[in-house]
Amino acid sequence: MSPALKEFFNEAGETAHFGWRFLKEVWFPPYEFKEVARQCYEIGYKSLTLVGVTAFIIGLVFTLQSRPTLVEFGAESWLPYMVGLSIIREIGPVITGLICAGKIGSSIGAELGSMKVTEQIDAMEVSGTNPFRFIVASRIIACILMVPILTIMGDAISLFGSFLAVKIAGPITWTLYFDKVFSSLQYSDFIPAFIKTFFFGFAIGLVGCYKGYHSKKGTEGVGRSANSAVVVSSLLIFVIDLIAVQVTQFFGFV
Amino acid sequence: METEKIQDNSSTATSTYGEPIIEVKHLQIAFGNNQVLRDYNLTVRKGENVVVLGKSGCGKSVLIKCIVGLLNYDGGELKVLGEEISSLEQQPLDILRAKIGFVFQSSALYDSMTVRENLEFALRRHGKHKSKDEIDELVNETLENVGLIHAIDQMPAELSGGMKKRIGLARALILHPEIMLYDEPTTGLDPITSREISNLMLDMQRKYHTSSIIITHDMHCARLTANRMTVMIDGICYADGTYDELSSLPDPKIHAFFE
Repeated sequence: MSPALKEFFNEAGETAHFGWRFLKEVWFPPYEFKEVARQCYEIGYKSLTLVGVTAFIIGLVFTLQSRPTLVEFGAESWLPYMVGLSIIREIGPVITGLICAGKIGSSIGAELGSMKVTEQIDAMEVSGTNPFRFIVASRIIACILMVPILTIMGDAISLFGSFLAVKIAGPITWTLYFDKVFSSLQYSDFIPAFIKTFFFGFAIGLVGCYKGYHSKKGTEGVGRSANSAVVVSSLLIFVIDLIAVQVTQFFGFV
Repeated sequence: METEKIQDNSSTATSTYGEPIIEVKHLQIAFGNNQVLRDYNLTVRKGENVVVLGKSGCGKSVLIKCIVGLLNYDGGELKVLGEEISSLEQQPLDILRAKIGFVFQSSALYDSMTVRENLEFALRRHGKHKSKDEIDELVNETLENVGLIHAIDQMPAELSGGMKKRIGLARALILHPEIMLYDEPTTGLDPITSREISNLMLDMQRKYHTSSIIITHDMHCARLTANRMTVMIDGICYADGTYDELSSLPDPKIHAFFE
């Protein structure tokens, strides 16, 4: 086996072990509620502007780009159905997941990496506090809670952007547009897409924390942790999305 | 022969102190092929300040990290307050750690917390019976002791290097530990601040009756704070004695530290 492949499997195994440790330890006290709340604010609230602006632009541009083709086939009235379905089922969760992987993943990787190299994690351990529970578990929980909420908000803002694009092109009321959007949607479209965002949050938190917690080689290692946290968690978003589609199809939701 | 002679002297010198609270016997630890500690022996008695001298990278910090259970050792015995560190489960280890204060070389203050929160962090976990007023009083008292009560609501990024060291010392002292471990407490400081920190360490030792292991290259700090010094060379305790005893030795390996 080549050293690169060996390194890959080693990293994958270590990350899985890290995730397993989280799943084992998270259920037992002491619970760090205050730190979880602080991380929810840092991760969720502070990402809202980025997610909101991106979602708005995606909704607007996606509608503007799709409209001419539908007009050509005389299917303009299908635009709200198509946009609604695409945003809720795929574009909203994946784009939000990728934005969070970039913003949250890099921030967690860099923060934990610098805590590691400046001995803050050791200091916490020496003070008799379980640093895994305080630092890692709180951040992963916050990611699991916040990414789905950000996705729902992103979906709503994206649909609003789409409405504006349709409104610019021709006369349509707010009520009619959203009535058409929601009439095309079923719970089987929304629920699987919503469930997979919890896994996106878990992956972003887990990879960011793992990379930061195992940061080495001083400040160079901090940069490397932040970078690889973004790369790996972005890739995982697509892998989870692929698995989610297969599982959804297996249960007959598509 | 010289080493043995000095150790004899030091045993006379240390007889005035209490019972042993840290006992390191034949300690061994390696990182890959690098054998850092080969056969290290050290005893620290109650009320004693022991300075560990040695070149950079010789394993001094590794020694105190083993003492506090941050690193696992490969062989030998390490007893702290009568308990073998390697045999302790997580909970008893955490209880033991509350009796040990650790001052890190980089101060290791929590960046995302204010000075007050840094000091309260361990207190809230180990002093659950304490009310908010008691915690506030303890934090204020400890900060007054290190002369930084005015910095209570500042963030670590707003503090100077010397202030960070003082806050690191205050954080280590807040649980009134029996043992203090200092990892190069004066490194990177100017001589005046360095002397202030050394004096503060002595003041705190007198006030809280702690025993200490001090890792340092700073001979002024060593001279001020040490009741006894040991020299670590090639992973063993090469020499042991008081400052005056070691500084008068003709051995070039030891003399190099005092030049």
